[in-house]
Order: sequence, then structure tokens, then C-alpha cells
Amino acid sequence: MPVANMTNVVKNYRVGKVEVPALRGVTVSIEEGEFSSIAGPSGSGKTTMLNLFGCLDQPTGGTVFISDRNVGRLSSNQLADVRNHNLGFIFQTFNLIPVLSAFENVEFPLILLKQGNAKERKEKVMKILEDVGIGDLAKRKPNEMSGGQMQRVAIARALVKDPKIVLADEPTANLDSVTGEGILKLMKEMNQRTKTTFIFSTHDQMVMDYANRLIHVHDGKIQSDEKR
Amino acid sequence: MLFKLAFRNIFRNFRRTLLTMFAIAFGLGVLLLMDSMLTGLDVDSFTKVINYETGHIKIFQRGYQEDVKNLPLDKSIDMPAKIIDEVSRDKNVEGITSRINFRIFLSDGIDQFPAIGIAINPEDDTNVFKLKQAVEEGKFINKGEEAMLIGEGLAEDFNVGVGDYLTVLTRTKYETYQALDLRIKGILKTEDPKIDWAAIVIPLGVGQDSLDMGKAVTEIDIKLKDISQVDKFRDKLAKELTGLEIMTWKDLAEDVIAISETKRGFSSLIFSAVVIIALIGISNTILLSAYERVREIGMMAAMGMRRKQIRRLFIYEGALIGLFGSIFGCLLGAAMNYPLVRFGINWGFMMRDMGDIGYRITGASYGVWRLHMFLIALIFGVVVSAIVSVYPAWVASKMEPTEALKKA
Repeated sequence: MPVANMTNVVKNYRVGKVEVPALRGVTVSIEEGEFSSIAGPSGSGKTTMLNLFGCLDQPTGGTVFISDRNVGRLSSNQLADVRNHNLGFIFQTFNLIPVLSAFENVEFPLILLKQGNAKERKEKVMKILEDVGIGDLAKRKPNEMSGGQMQRVAIARALVKDPKIVLADEPTANLDSVTGEGILKLMKEMNQRTKTTFIFSTHDQMVMDYANRLIHVHDGKIQSDEKR
Repeated sequence: MLFKLAFRNIFRNFRRTLLTMFAIAFGLGVLLLMDSMLTGLDVDSFTKVINYETGHIKIFQRGYQEDVKNLPLDKSIDMPAKIIDEVSRDKNVEGITSRINFRIFLSDGIDQFPAIGIAINPEDDTNVFKLKQAVEEGKFINKGEEAMLIGEGLAEDFNVGVGDYLTVLTRTKYETYQALDLRIKGILKTEDPKIDWAAIVIPLGVGQDSLDMGKAVTEIDIKLKDISQVDKFRDKLAKELTGLEIMTWKDLAEDVIAISETKRGFSSLIFSAVVIIALIGISNTILLSAYERVREIGMMAAMGMRRKQIRRLFIYEGALIGLFGSIFGCLLGAAMNYPLVRFGINWGFMMRDMGDIGYRITGASYGVWRLHMFLIALIFGVVVSAIVSVYPAWVASKMEPTEALKKA
């Protein structure tokens, strides 16, 4: 059953007076529980695809469905709600809130969702922090953690609200290969355990190797779509 | 959560936040100090006007006020005793007396200065005015005594003291010249320049005889038990005493009120400039903070934070900076105000040279504690800081998440 779907999606950006095409009629469907990777060189359109799946952007043409909702015509508040309820994000640069502890960073999306009381939130946050292997770092601030530890917090933050899809933009790009592989293993494990759908954009071969579906984009079009 | 986040965010760039808070604190501190000083001057001046010049209410002959600068003796109340008797029966009246004000030249045979003569009834003047308590040297005058009290500034000008004689040159009600040699019985120190620098006081009987006034006076002065009733009492008297002019101390202290309002207007201008600078500081701080946290704003938007929540976060930050700045401002205001209330500022060195500027101050003036002004300053600081944060908050909330996440 597809959790995300693009049909004939066109996305153009305006740069000054010039209209630059980023996607030129992309059709793709992401199934529930997939561990998919969108790969391609810089400027190929992979981040644009991720942004559209992430409801951070809207298509110029075609339709994008997230959990049966056509997100192409939603207002900014409605898009925020779709992101809030359905999507988790993992960024290349972690993007943790520096003034909050690991625990508070992970708790933040639950508060935005108004999910549970303080005790329930605490249990949930501590469990996910234990699951990603940093239960003992709950009180640390981001500047007191390594890159790998920060990315684990980011993974916990993305997964804590049980989203349908986790979108990860080059999640290993700022990590050394050993730490990067550890992060990938963790995400794969979480994918298998929680059946959460993961979609990556990457040009890292190791990420591609871990994916069970590899979508290659080039010049705004899908060049290949390989399921493993 | 937003509040907690806002609270922690304001300390991310501690030095900048501190400078912004200091700007607010300085603005509010100056406001509180100025308010205390001006209110002190007002209270002091109004008290002296009431205690030495006007009482609470004055009754004049109709037309007297039109010509008040000349202190006309022909526009007098010829039968004051009847009016005094009637008015004094009112239960609202604490004291009543009558006076004659007249223009004089005071001379020691060498120098001659213009001044004001005030003929008072020594027996009941103290029921309305406090001249008796202001006798710094010598004694208060008695009924019918050919003696005078003199303001200490005038005494200094003539270099005279108690027991010395000065000549009072004036004109009677019928414009004939009159000269009186009067012994100085007491020196007045009221700290009201209208008295200390420009007045002599003689017994009413001596004044009436010398000025050919018979039993007439130029004014009847009333002190009420409750000063807040002056307007009501004036209206009541105006109905009962037709043909006379009834004026309250507020009507008569127009010069003090005018200078007070002018000073307040001028101070408001200075204060506005200081506040505008502080507010631009807050707005700038929040705007810089928004631009520094573009990626974070993008991330929060990606996580599903609505634009209005992002706006609220930055407005909270502005309001919190305003709150802390205002608290510091109140503390600074209190610290600066304490010596002003306790020790005052001595204006004596400049007041005599400046002449009559309206305020009834010859020496020190003191600040006053107005605690409600501290509360107003605190609320003002927070509310206005929040308001000036709306624009930077709007800028932050308008950032597109995709663009924001791209920023290095």
C-alpha cells in the first residue's frame, strides 16, 4: 500500500527571470515500510523530490499524495499539520535545537503534537533514546555530543511521534564512514522494527547499498527504479 | 515549551541580550527618575502655593482677576466680615482669613527694589497659611503692630536683619503716595520665591490704615478640611456669593501648572527618544537572532510548527528581553531615585539667577516614590518590547522551510 505517491510531477524554480526545471514529470509510488534511497548527482532533483514528499514544497504540476492527501493544494498551516502528524525529518547537519537537551529535543515534536502528558512523554522519549542507544545522554546539550550521537538524537526525534514516513536528507554526509554505517544500521533496524517508511536522498554509495529500493534521478527525471 | 525555548534562546547571545536589556533599563530608569523629580517639583510647588499664597479657595471682588497684575486696591471686598462669618459656618471650612496684596517699593535709603506687600490678619492667617511656621529668625507679627516680616532673599539684598528698618513706598486706594518706616520683626524662609525673594508681610490693620482701605480687603482666603472638595465648594460659593469671583488654588496656580506641563512635555520628548532607541535595539536584536537561526526555523517548520507558533516564539523572546530589561530599569530607577528622595537636589545655585520660572523652589527639591509608576514602567517595557518584536517575528515566520534549510 503506497504511503507517498507522485504522479507526473513537474517542479520549476524561478531564478531571477529564468524558470529552471527541477523535476520534469516524475511518477513514483513509495510503499509502506520501504527503505528507499533517491540517488543522483547534484542538481538532479533528488532534494526537490524529498522536499515534495516532505510537504516542504508544492509541485508546479502533477499531484503529490501523502497518506491519501493531495498536498498540492494545501495551505501552509495544513502542510504544517501534515508534516506534524505524518512526517519525521533527519537532516545532514542534524539541526538539533542547541538550547535544548537531547531529551527535550526528542520531546519537542510530541509537544507540538500535544501528545500525552509529561509522564507519558517522558516514558516515550526515554524508550526511543534507549532504542537508538543514547539513553544515558538524555541530559546532554547538542554541543556536548559527537556528530554520531547528535544524529542518533535526530533519528529519535524523527521517530518518536510514530510518523508514517521518515525523510532523511544525506543523513551520513557529515559523519565519518564508521559512524555513518552505525547510523545506517540503526535506521535499518528501526525500519524493520517499527515498519516506518524511510526515504533518503543521497549520493553516498554506502546508503545506496543499505536501501531496499534505489531510485536514480537525473536531470529531473527518474532514470532507474530498482527494488532489491 | 515555546516559553521555555524563548527563555533559553535569549541567553544564546548573552552579550547582545545584555546590551539590549541595558538600553531598556536605561530608558526606564531615566523615565522613573524624571517622573520622580518632576512630581517632586510639582508636589513641592503646589504645597507652597497653597501654604503661602492661595490657600484652597480665594474670594475676590468681581473684576479683580482681570487686573491682578497691578494688584488693584479699588477692586476690594468692602464688607469682608459678613462673608467670613457666613462662609466660616460651613462644616467643610477649616480656616478662613483675609488679606490685602499691594505693590510696593522697598527702600533702605540707598537701594530700592519693587516687591509685594501682603497685609495679613495675624490672628487667623495661621488657620489658612503657614507663614508663622516659616519665620526663620525673629518673631511673627502681632495685630496692629507697626512691624514687618521680610523674605530672606530680600533681607539679603538689603543686607538687613531683625530689628533693622526699611521704608515701604506705596500708593493708597486713592492713588496717593504713602511711605512707612517699618521695623523688621522676622525673616521668612518659605522656600517659595514669591515670598522669600519678593514679599514683605505686615499686619492687616496697619495695611488698611496706610492704604486707606477702611475695613476692606482684596481677598478672602479659605482652607477646606478636604482639599479634594475644592471644585464642589467653589461652585457652591459661586451660587451663594454672586458678584464675587471665587477661584480655587488650581485656577490661581496656573503658572506652576503651565511650567509643570511644559517640563513634562519636554521630558516626554527626551524619554520618547530614549525609548525609541531602546525599542529599535530590541527589534534589531530579535531580527539578528532570527537571521542567525534560519536553519533552526526551517527545521522547526519542517517538524510541523505553524507560522504563528514561530512568530509567537520570537515575540516571547522580545517580551522576555523587555521583562528583564524593565526589571533592571526599575531597579536602576529605584537606585537613582533613592538619593533624590533622601537628599534631594539643591537648585539654589541657579534658581536666584534664573528668576521666577514658575516653580516654587528656592533651594532643594526632593523626589517622590510613585510605586505605580514602577508597575507601569514594567508593563510598558514588556508590552512594547513584545510589540516591536512583531516585525522580526513576522520575518522569521515568513521564511520558506526549503530555503531556510539550505542556509549554511
